[in-house]
Formats: sequence, structure tokens, C-alpha cells
Amino acid sequence: MVQALNDALRHEMRRDDRVVVLGEDVGRIGGVFRVTQGLWDEFGEDRVIDTPLSEGGIVGTAIGMALYGLVPVPEIQFADFIYPAYDQLVSELAKLRYRSGGEYTAKMVLRAPVGGGIRGGMYHSQSPESLFIHVAGLKVVCPSNAYDAKGLLLAAIRDPDPVIFFEPKRIYRAARGDVPDEDYTVALASAAVVRAGRDLTVLTWGAMLYEALAAADEASKHGIQCEIVDLRTLWPVDIDAIVASVEKTGRVVIVHEAPKTCGFGAELVALVSERAFVHLQAPPARVCGFDTPFPYALEMEYLPLARRILPALLETARF
Amino acid sequence: MQSVSPPGTAPRPLVDDRARSHNGAPPISDDLAMALYEHMVAARVIDERLAALQLSGRVLQHASALGQEAAVIGAVAAVRDDDWVFLGSPEFGAALWRGMPVALYAHRAFGTATDVVLGRSRIPSPSPRVGRNITHAVGVAWAARLRRHDLAVLLLFGESATSGHDFHAGLNFAGVARVPLIALCWNGGPAASSRTAVAGVAAKAVAYGLPAVRVDGCDVIAVWSAVREARARASAGGGATLIEAVGAPPGDGENPELGAARDPVARFRRTLEERGCWGEDRERQLREGVNADVQRAIAEAEMSPVPAPDTLFDNVYADVPRHLREQRDEWARVTGAFA
Repeated sequence: MVQALNDALRHEMRRDDRVVVLGEDVGRIGGVFRVTQGLWDEFGEDRVIDTPLSEGGIVGTAIGMALYGLVPVPEIQFADFIYPAYDQLVSELAKLRYRSGGEYTAKMVLRAPVGGGIRGGMYHSQSPESLFIHVAGLKVVCPSNAYDAKGLLLAAIRDPDPVIFFEPKRIYRAARGDVPDEDYTVALASAAVVRAGRDLTVLTWGAMLYEALAAADEASKHGIQCEIVDLRTLWPVDIDAIVASVEKTGRVVIVHEAPKTCGFGAELVALVSERAFVHLQAPPARVCGFDTPFPYALEMEYLPLARRILPALLETARF
Repeated sequence: MQSVSPPGTAPRPLVDDRARSHNGAPPISDDLAMALYEHMVAARVIDERLAALQLSGRVLQHASALGQEAAVIGAVAAVRDDDWVFLGSPEFGAALWRGMPVALYAHRAFGTATDVVLGRSRIPSPSPRVGRNITHAVGVAWAARLRRHDLAVLLLFGESATSGHDFHAGLNFAGVARVPLIALCWNGGPAASSRTAVAGVAAKAVAYGLPAVRVDGCDVIAVWSAVREARARASAGGGATLIEAVGAPPGDGENPELGAARDPVARFRRTLEERGCWGEDRERQLREGVNADVQRAIAEAEMSPVPAPDTLFDNVYADVPRHLREQRDEWARVTGAFA
């Protein structure tokens, strides 16, 4: 996935000279996860910019660059570090178009590695997506594989609205697959059915997709066929794909890493309840991170891995 | 009086109020001087009228810049017309200089359907939150530098913003990236300085490697000259400058007499009269014209309808996404207010 993201950035920077990358150590070093590796050599320090260590400063100056007509792609080193910039993202970036009656906009794609599973501990593992989904004016994307990562990043950069682009760091190097060299996009707000099934719908995204797939393999041994929907864009979410699947299966399980309470799963349960109530044959279930800080030593207990997903699949299918 | 001498700059003491603080400044033409004065008066009259309406609850959106007329108008007049200008809430006078009609500002204050917000002439819509646009101004200046465009950014903000992290981040980035920025900070007087351990604002520039000057913020020509100088430095690739415009609101509580004497509008009128290009007749004409403009603008704005309800959902995103269309349609269905 790292290579696909790097390819997307390189591709778009060659195509559109308004695109600039900025962040902590994104230039000479190429980013802590090497997503921007080699870009500094090719595009120079005017377009691949090492900034001081200030997330609020990175996003604030990126807003200014965007006002000027550039297309900044700032990187926040870990999603956990995003909070000093939260004020700029929520109060400025998300509201600029609205506040100015459409006269001023600041188009940017903010990239940040997200999620646990690499022994990163409390401050290198969080999944703050629902904090941004809740904010009017932002779009939120989270790919689960290399092909989607490139296509979604290109689509996000070309989209007229600001996009928060979360990259699941646990699968940065694990999620492989054929990535075409050429230009292609994966449309925003379109989910993918990655596994078809008649008994149960699983809604998930990012690194947990693979846990859901593993759990679904186990469930099939019990005669339960799960349909797995990778949301890909979390907001605006693909309501039609969700409703179509739940209408077919009548049962839904939602899997995400973020804490359960007020996580995006809560909104998905509400959407399904409002739109597919008469089709539901079981209460919607959520398998999520716990409502605790993200733990260091016990991260595999915290994460909603396949062994925690499987019981939810069986119970929901047999309700 | 304090002076600050960051590396590479000559100290420039704050000049005593009774002296002419713009000694040695480049002369400005009578036409420019009169234009400055006319805009200062317009800003003053608007401020007084809207502040009065605010007290009676008829206007919600207005932040007073009373006493800052010299700093605001002097600064915006000293940069080029195609330079970007970032304002805090109170500095609407800068938009007047860039051609914003009084009526437009009145529509903004009353929040009417005609309000197209302050943002125009490269003056982005200000955030009411103190200091939050400092980094935006730095970003615009940075982008201009990256593009090798000969443009600069004028940023106006108040002393209270210097306590926040956006000030630190913004000026640090500005120093590191040598961006063409003129950061002008209004320091409203003794009360303000107690909010920080070191009095004054200019001293902070040393830490960011920026030159800083303190000027008498109630002297429009002193402000104009300092900004002009900083603008030339920006064009020459010299990076950003921090200007501290020291002032006091007219009617200073501690010393009403001094406050009145420092009133930038009254002071500049005396200067114009000394130059022989201003007198009673012109003053009366100007005041009558401005008063009529402001009264007409307020009357028109007060009579204007509020925006149509369905505009509530516009400009959240470039297009209205599905969930917002649904909310808009549902709202219309249950209220029947629009189809």
C-alpha cells in the first residue's frame, strides 16, 4: 500500500504542478512510513516541504496555500497527533466555504496513518475517524488495499472538497496486490462488496477488513455465508450499497477499531435502522475497540480481531 | 519608552505622542493623505453607529475597531492593491479601503439575504476566533513565494492573539520559510501588556528571526511608512516583518485627556489642516456624505429579508451531498416552507 500511495502522489504531482506535499520529515527522509520517499528528489524542496513540528501550523499554512490556489497534501505523522490541528480542521478548513458564501475554499487532502496493531501504544494507534465524520464540510476516506489506496488518493486530490485520508498503518506493507501504473480513480462515496453472502452483512473498512474476512471464513464452516462490504469512503458513506446488502441479508454486524461508543458504527446502525427496519431479522451488532484508551501491551485484546468477530457473526445469524 | 532591537534592525523608539512621529518618513501626497483621512472617518462613523445599534440589540455581527483607524487604514493603504490582506474581526476599515461599499458591510452586520460576506478583493472572510488566520496568512505568503510571484500578505491582528499557539506557529513558519508577510499587531495599551510577562509584542520577533518595529499606532503616516518599508523588504526577498502598532482607544479610562489627544482621526485632521489641504467646509461635506451613506445603508439592511431557508444547505460542500439533500427535503416536507 505504501508503494501505491507513493505512486499516486508522484503521479498527481507530475500531472498537476499545484500539488504540494508538506509535513514533518516528509522531504529528505520521505516520511516515517516512507510514503513520500523519493518525491523530494524528483520535485524539490518547493513542492515537498519539511515543516517545523506543529500540526496546527502545518494545517493552518496548508489552508493558506490552498486559498492561494495550490493543492496541498499535508501529512500528519500519526492520526494520534492530529488534535493540535483539530481546531484548524474543524473550525477553519471545514467551514471556509460555508463562512464565505462559497467565495473562498481551501481544497486539501490531509493524510494520516491510522489504527493499531504495530505495537505503537496509546499515542500511535488511535482511530479518530468519527471525530471528522461528525464535522460538516469534511470528507473521510480509509482504503483497505493497494489498488484502492492509489485510486482513492487520486480521486481525493481531484475532489473539490477537503478530504481526511486515513491510511491503516497495520497493512501499509501487508496489503499487496496489482496496482496499475496508469491513471485511474476509485470514486469517493462508493463502497465495495468484497465477499458476497446471503445470511449476514458485515460493514467494515481499513485493516479490520482482513479480520472480518478471516471470521467469515470460519463462519462459513458453520454454514453461515457473510457478505462483507468495505465502505472505503466513510463520509459521505455509500448508503445505497449498505441498504441493498442489509435488505438482502436482514442482519448486520459492524466492525471497527475505534471505541464503540459514538464510533462510526453507531451512525451505521442508525442508518440501517431508519432505512431497512422492516428487513431486519436480528438486532444490529457492533464489534469495536473498547471504550478505553488504546493499550500498549494488550493491543491484540483491544482490537476487534477475528476471534471476537466470529461470535458476533454466529449470534447475529442465529438470532 | 521601550525599543526593541532584533538582530539586523535598528532600534526605533516609540515616539512621544506630542512629537511628530513620522519625522523622516517619505512624504505622501495630499491626495493620498485626504483619501486616508476620508476612509478613517468612514470607519469611525460606521463603528459608532453600529456599536450604538448593537447596544440596543438590533445588530449582532459587528466588532468595534474604535481608535484603530490609523493602524488599519494606514496599513492597507501601504501595500499593493493585489496583495492579500487578512483581518481579525474588527478591521473592517481595510475592506472599505479596498472598495467595499458601506451598504455591503451593513448587510453583513444585519445578516441579510444580500450579505455576500466581507470576503472580497483578496480579503478572505475573517474568522471571529482570535489569531486563527495567522497561519493562513503565512500559507498564502508561502505559496506566493513558492510560485515566485511578487505578492505580499498583510496580516492584521490584536495583541491578545500573541498569547495563542497560532501566533507562535505562524511566525515560526514565517521565519523559517522567509515568506513575504507583514504582520501588524495592534497593541491597545497598558492594560493589554499585563497579559504577558514581557511588555510589548515586538520583542517576540527576535525568537523567530524576524525584524520588528514599534510604531505609534495612532499616527496613520507612521503606520503607512512602516508597512511600506516592510513591503519593500518582502519584495526584495527579505521575508516577514512584525510591526507593533502601539495605541490607546480614544477615551482611555485612565487618562481621558491623553486618550482624546491620541484619537487618530482628530490627530490626522490637525495634520491635514497644518498641510493646508483640509478645512471646515471639506470636513462638513465629508461628514454629511458619510453620515448619509451609513444611514442609508443601515436603513436598507434593516429592511432587507433574511436569506431564503434552503440556502442553509448550500456551500457546506461543493455540491449538496445526498445526506444533506435528504435533510433539506425532509425539512421542506414537514414545514412546507419551500418546494
